[in-house]
Amino acid sequence: MQQLQNLIAGFNVSSCEPYKQCWIKAKLTTQDDLISLATALKANGLTSLITVSPTDFPDDNRLELNYFFEDLLTRRNAWIKVDIPRELDACQIPSLTPLFPSVNWHEREAFSTFGVRFIGHPALEDIFISEDFIGKFPFRKGFDWQAHEANLIENMACIVRGFEREHAINDARMGKGSHTTLNWGPTHPASGPLRLRVEVNGEDIISVKPDVGYVWRGLEHLVEGKDFVGALVAIERICFMDNTNAMICYAQAVEEIAGKPITPFASMMRVMLGEIGRVVSHLMGIGGFFNTMGLVTLQMWALDVREYFLDVLEDYSGARIATASIEPGGVRYPLKLALLVTLEAAIAKYEATRSEFYAIFINNPTMQSRATVVGIITPEMVLNNGLCGVVARASGVKTDIRLDEPYAAYDKINMTYMLAEQGSAKNRFEVLFKEVDQSMDILKQAIADLRRGIESGEYRPEKDAMVRIPKKLPDGEAVSRVEWSRGELMMHLVTRKSDETPYRLKIKAPSVNHTMMLETLLAGKTLSDIPLVFGSLYICQGDLDR
Amino acid sequence: MLKILDFFNYAQSESPWIVHFCSGCCSLEMAAATGPRYDWERYGYMQTPTPRQADVMIITGLVSKKILPALLRTFAQMPEPSYVLAIGACAYDGGPYNESVSVIKNMTEILPADAFVAGCPPKPEAIITGLDIIKEKMRKGEPSAASQGGLWKQMNF
Repeated sequence: MQQLQNLIAGFNVSSCEPYKQCWIKAKLTTQDDLISLATALKANGLTSLITVSPTDFPDDNRLELNYFFEDLLTRRNAWIKVDIPRELDACQIPSLTPLFPSVNWHEREAFSTFGVRFIGHPALEDIFISEDFIGKFPFRKGFDWQAHEANLIENMACIVRGFEREHAINDARMGKGSHTTLNWGPTHPASGPLRLRVEVNGEDIISVKPDVGYVWRGLEHLVEGKDFVGALVAIERICFMDNTNAMICYAQAVEEIAGKPITPFASMMRVMLGEIGRVVSHLMGIGGFFNTMGLVTLQMWALDVREYFLDVLEDYSGARIATASIEPGGVRYPLKLALLVTLEAAIAKYEATRSEFYAIFINNPTMQSRATVVGIITPEMVLNNGLCGVVARASGVKTDIRLDEPYAAYDKINMTYMLAEQGSAKNRFEVLFKEVDQSMDILKQAIADLRRGIESGEYRPEKDAMVRIPKKLPDGEAVSRVEWSRGELMMHLVTRKSDETPYRLKIKAPSVNHTMMLETLLAGKTLSDIPLVFGSLYICQGDLDR
Repeated sequence: MLKILDFFNYAQSESPWIVHFCSGCCSLEMAAATGPRYDWERYGYMQTPTPRQADVMIITGLVSKKILPALLRTFAQMPEPSYVLAIGACAYDGGPYNESVSVIKNMTEILPADAFVAGCPPKPEAIITGLDIIKEKMRKGEPSAASQGGLWKQMNF
């Protein structure tokens, strides 16, 4: 870490200091140094630039760009800030995409929403935002949403015109042999709200270009209109498959700025709720994987087991999916010991079904032969493309935020990295299964710890659930990371004194980089491989678009 | 003659096929409704990948501006009578995304629903209850609400 700090301090920086366990936070005085600093960081092993987050300060007439560099192998990360002018003409900075392919779509996102022009980006097109927002940069402070909203019919027509233009181009291309462009989604049963423009020659894929933004809700902007607790409504809806871990991530950022640590009891509750969220999501993912291969049976079995875990969430919070159970300051409700019994029943249900899962599906010869040859991701691809979570671990890369930068009470939990080697679709499926097993183990440890703590009087479930967080936070900013079910979820929260709402929240969600990989993974394959590769990447459109 | 037509309505109502279209997060609870615990196939509901064979379309919560043309196009491809079930608060007034400008907040005006299920997301039992209302409509041979009106007829998609 010291070496990294010295390296960064060698550039024109106005500040350079360690931040949390594994970050160096620095601010460049001028953007001229950005490329040389990024090159030096890359040479030092920080190969993933996971996102770029602009923050708009109209009072100072500047946009602050936050770059987050990560080294997945040695856990040294760098958070580099740099100011650029706010005027649209001068709002530009050299692009880092040629150096770090992982930041490609993130730069496009910053361009679409804030109007930052990245000089040297290979294809700086709009992304996520719908056609009617193009050129309007909606996340800038002072953008008049109401005025935009007033023209709904015209906005819709604008979106339709965009589709029509594209159809016209596709139509013009038709009729030259078997060369054509297919739309895979958004109405395909396996796709969800996402569209792949697949250019094919007969069955063979020439190129794949994802079209995303079908569930773009502008969540990052939405939270700016809510108070710190009310923002949870938007946060937990990033993706409903695993909503507890997203809330943990946000709550941690708020607590850090408020300077209020939570109680050990609440930390352990977060581990428990987080793991339930992970199991619920993984079971959906497991079912979805086989579903895309045309086998519905596993999904039915997985859904059956999943219901038992949803029962636990329902017992705890009253809702099966939108639990809103974790808020800044701890967990929302106290714990009744009967809940642990319900949870134990759910774990027993999984363990009773587990051997059948393995016998019929994991060792399934069709799956073995079909899924080992497609969608292979090498460790180099993981490091260069900012992949994370299950996808990274299936390629043998040791990354797991629960171990790398332990949060909540994960430092008390005994666990290891769940790895596979080849990085094929089958490996990702196996890692998903192994992680469900691992979560069961973590849940058992959490149950034992909660029981012991409550019996010994160390935890007071009524009093320790929440710590009061003030309504207004001081000036500050925080970066919070959690291991979400699909991979690393990172939030960058900026607050301003006497504001009751977040000033800026950037959400870095794992599915963005995973969707970006589809272009590489599917080129040269056949049409029938699309659902399998897509299913194995465990993509959720909710966190892709936000 | 009347009796025979009644029989067709009855037969259709006992096996409504639902077009497989997902525009928002409520589709997660729809998946749960297909699962073993709730199992909507007990009542004859089934998902079909193509709108050409579907009787019912479910608006699964959130409809963003970008997906609306695709949703209306899918709906227009369904044979008459094409019923619409709207589930989730978003499908009524934008729900938790009421302040978001990329989300459609007057879905019921654009594509009027035959039944609306409240919740965020609604529980699977509630979704099945909503489908039962549509089943009743089918049995009586009532026309669908969307065929009676709605902004979708004036929209270009």
